[in-house]
Amino acid sequence: MARAKPSLMLSIPSQTSFLSLVREVTKKMAESAGFSDGTADRLALAVDEATTNVIEHAYHGSGDREVELRIEDRGPEFRVEVVDDGTTVDPRAVPRVDLGRYVSERRTGGLGVHLMEKIMDSVTFRRTARRNVCTLVKRKESSRAR
Amino acid sequence: MAELTVETRDVEGVTLLYPKGFINAHTVLLFEREIQKALAQGQFKIVVNCAGLSYIASAGLGAIMGAIEEIRGNGGDLRLANLNETVRNIFEILGFNHLYRIYASEVEAITSFRSAAGAGSS
Repeated sequence: MARAKPSLMLSIPSQTSFLSLVREVTKKMAESAGFSDGTADRLALAVDEATTNVIEHAYHGSGDREVELRIEDRGPEFRVEVVDDGTTVDPRAVPRVDLGRYVSERRTGGLGVHLMEKIMDSVTFRRTARRNVCTLVKRKESSRAR
Repeated sequence: MAELTVETRDVEGVTLLYPKGFINAHTVLLFEREIQKALAQGQFKIVVNCAGLSYIASAGLGAIMGAIEEIRGNGGDLRLANLNETVRNIFEILGFNHLYRIYASEVEAITSFRSAAGAGSS
């Protein structure tokens, strides 16, 4: 019988002091899934950014809410869901990153989503059962070239 | 153990920042404060030595971007040195390597300010 691939569920308070834990757990899971050290670091960064987005935008910095993380090695892909029950933030409303304008206009928002999209193969947002779910997927095949 | 410490020192009119640990939404205020402290003292030649920096998230990159216009507007620059592979990779993913001068060593970053009267940006 095939051994089940590792999966992990974690619920953390909506406080940035827990981001280090999120990073460590994600990195460990990514390494277990067979990603290189460098890719595991980047995956941890993407999940850090997704969690930060929830704390800052869905929960508006309120520290008494809950962020749920579901990290799964699905064989061909590594998948992380970041779930909250706060305000729905439409990612399409986040302006695309234009680095030249960032410097001239002192804009610093939107970098996190941009980083997530650069690191992952797909980043999707959906609203379900009154909860927001951000799904980050990295295919193992694609990571070999990076 | 602190998640981030930032030591500073001045060498030849250049302010050196040594972030140690990681910079993310939780620790960024400390990093930002040290940059602002330098600016308040009229120090606009800044080198961030990233030798002890294991990781930087967008919050940290935003702190740099938020200060760079004032720094360059005052004839200075913020330059980076000793990036580890992870941090360098994050800079490259975002194209920051085209916006900021990055040096292999602290000495190179400091001496880069001597040429062209120390001003300029990449």
